[in-house]
Amino acid sequence: MSFSLKFKLALLDNVIWLMLFCFFILCLIGVPEFASAANIVNIFYHSSIMSILVLAEGFVLLSGKLDLSIDGILAFAPGAVILLATKWAPDVFGNPWLCLVLTIILGGLVGFFNGFCVAKLDMNPFMQTLSMSIILRGLVLFLIPLSIFPLNPAYSYIGKARLSLLGRSIPVTIIAVLLIYSVFGFILRRTVFGRNYMATGGNERASYVAGIDTTRMILGGYIIAGMLAAFAGILTAGRQDSVSNTMGSGAVMLAFAGALLGGTSMSGGKGSAFGMLGGSLLLGMFSNSLNLLGVTVTLVHASQGALIFVAILADRLRIRARARLLRNEQLKKLKESEVALG
Amino acid sequence: MFSEQPAGFPALKLKNITKVYPGVIALEDVNIEARSGEVHGLIGKNGAGKSTLVGIVAGLIRPTSGSIEVKGRRFPFLTRAQGMQEGIAIVTQEPEVILDISVAENLFLGEQPASFGLVDQREMYRKTEKILTDYGLDISPGYRAGDLSLSERQLLLILKACVAEDAGIVILDEASAPLTQKDARLLRSMVKRLREAGKAIIYISHQIDELLGICDRLTVLRDGRSVITCGKSSLNHRSLSELIVGEPLSDQNSKSNAAGNVEGETLLSLSGFTKWGAFESVNLTVRRGEVVGLAGLRGSGRTELMKAIAGIDPPDAGKMIFKGRQCSFRTPNLALRDGIAYLPEERELEGLIKGFSIKDNLILNCLHILSSYGVIRKNDCDRLSEKIFKDVECKAFSTEQDVDELSGGNKQKVLIGRIMALKPDLYLLDEPTRGVDIGAKKNIQSLIIENIRGSAGVLVSSPGLDDLAEICDRILVMYKGRIAACHKGPNFEEHALFMEIQGMTGTEAAGTDAAER
Repeated sequence: MSFSLKFKLALLDNVIWLMLFCFFILCLIGVPEFASAANIVNIFYHSSIMSILVLAEGFVLLSGKLDLSIDGILAFAPGAVILLATKWAPDVFGNPWLCLVLTIILGGLVGFFNGFCVAKLDMNPFMQTLSMSIILRGLVLFLIPLSIFPLNPAYSYIGKARLSLLGRSIPVTIIAVLLIYSVFGFILRRTVFGRNYMATGGNERASYVAGIDTTRMILGGYIIAGMLAAFAGILTAGRQDSVSNTMGSGAVMLAFAGALLGGTSMSGGKGSAFGMLGGSLLLGMFSNSLNLLGVTVTLVHASQGALIFVAILADRLRIRARARLLRNEQLKKLKESEVALG
Repeated sequence: MFSEQPAGFPALKLKNITKVYPGVIALEDVNIEARSGEVHGLIGKNGAGKSTLVGIVAGLIRPTSGSIEVKGRRFPFLTRAQGMQEGIAIVTQEPEVILDISVAENLFLGEQPASFGLVDQREMYRKTEKILTDYGLDISPGYRAGDLSLSERQLLLILKACVAEDAGIVILDEASAPLTQKDARLLRSMVKRLREAGKAIIYISHQIDELLGICDRLTVLRDGRSVITCGKSSLNHRSLSELIVGEPLSDQNSKSNAAGNVEGETLLSLSGFTKWGAFESVNLTVRRGEVVGLAGLRGSGRTELMKAIAGIDPPDAGKMIFKGRQCSFRTPNLALRDGIAYLPEERELEGLIKGFSIKDNLILNCLHILSSYGVIRKNDCDRLSEKIFKDVECKAFSTEQDVDELSGGNKQKVLIGRIMALKPDLYLLDEPTRGVDIGAKKNIQSLIIENIRGSAGVLVSSPGLDDLAEICDRILVMYKGRIAACHKGPNFEEHALFMEIQGMTGTEAAGTDAAER
């Protein structure tokens, strides 16, 4: 394979980052201050919660399943824990660090229940997590009719605080998100769990026959998604310094979109953390640019839908372009061999 | 049932067909001519371009260049609709009938005898009855198609293509693969009758004997080119094999390697092994260094038996002693950890991980050896995968290539490499040479004899008896879920084996067999 071909293929495989770049340039033409460091930090900050949700959804998609309940977990886990800490048992759960850990564990528990139903009881993931999503959202509405605020500063630290780094104040959220993404990139590519997990998504039956405990893999995927969603909940609660019953409402579909934009396959086994990050940044950058361009807030949703459509179209074109590239290469080789044979 | 063209008229001509895919040149300048009243055989290794050729004729694939001539009319390419209009029918090796409707409805699907839009049920059943008895099929037209055996469904589809739709050009693409021996014989007589009716039949198969028995002319495809087209009288089994492989066959007599008596310790012994509905009270032993064959028809329980040993579908009853300890594995990873590796029969379904590279597929089973604290050591992975890749003689650009881009034989080698990497004590190879071309088959057989057998026991199944006879020390015959007979090598009586597989005892069968022939 020639270098130029390899380069083209690499470009096509990371088309989301190419799109991101093109979009960035486009915005730059419209709004010169778009490229300012402050705005870039702003984009990262505003897509951080979504990017964690995208990772959660994408992670489940990699195993060939799906999870509709992640935005429910996002609201439920911090909501229930804050209730414990402020109303039900403040003397036991007063410690904010304990609350943070508890929130993540609670998210993991809901994920465990989802995973148990799907992997062990063989329930349909769509139906099961749909019901879970409705249950959780309903419980949140029941438990937290009114927002609870303010939160303990330690609890909202990750969501709200800023660190001064490189002479600039950077939100802690961004650092946490980048850290989590690199950890997941590593897990998926370089650990036994990650490889077995991807294999399960690629072909569940074959993985089972090859001695992989696929039930555990799927269960693990849901637990991790639950924990990530709970973490996104901590970020949300921290950012608004309160827990409310509308947190993350309707975000699950955008999470799907982000994961798919990032090249994750709905049927499992294909995708990467890097791609998912690109997908969520594109979503974030898009709404940010609409803001700066002064597009009315009520139109943002429809525009996001249009963006998703364009991205899916681009993905189809990408697959075709890839096939054509390889075919031309083969034709070239054929001609060369003919010349060689005389 | 006659075609309007005189016998010998070229019904279908493929001229200078070339097809290029991303990653492969599937066909290069291929010319084939099928005459009416002729059975034209097509043979070649996996990846030689047979399926592409069939796809082009069927109108599913567009050739990159070349033309197709049907009954004198010329097309640059065919669409499926055109193909059907021109009377081209195709039967593949996967019998796809509609399970929930009757045999008659399946047979006349799309061609129902009707008046004023109402299906004439009585007429349809009458015609079906006639066709079925005509061609010697013992099925009632009212049966639900889903209740038929795989073999019967296949025959039904062949009849649908040839008789109900009355196609002039019929392509049987490895159509005999799912057939039982008895039905294969029926197919042969069917094909003969169809030929007499003036149909042009393109007959594709991996079985050389079958082709030589049934075809008038043969075309051999190799690496996307047609190597030769000639009458069958100028060919014999050996010369044809050589044409397919492209090099003279080595006279390596594997039987001499496979000494009859093996002295190794008993590795595996089963007693009273039972899974209801699949197999019953199976007793067998496998020694270290021994290759034991499991012969039997599809559905005789051999696959289920292997899966039970490997813990994939655990047995209901019985005792299993492995390496001197009594075990019962409930999941495959437990069996694997103890040294039992299973090579699945369904390569695509149960073997390969699509979207993974060759390398990732090869090392899937031994990640735990190649990692420390759950983190994979990349260099060790590369080294091991390269080594296995060479050991199994897999043909590909590099190990980074997507496993989907390989041909069937190479895919199979990847899977064999995967289980070899673990160095298990017991290999369960379920049809290791299924759907694999001759070259790859020889490779795989020598792998089994030379690399695998050394320190391990092997239990191997195959639909073909001669495959087993070449590599096995012992052959067990399974019939209807029981072990019907046991033969010791190195010289097997293939005739007796053949009869036992059909559920007949040697002596009684000799007579019937002669009569049927």
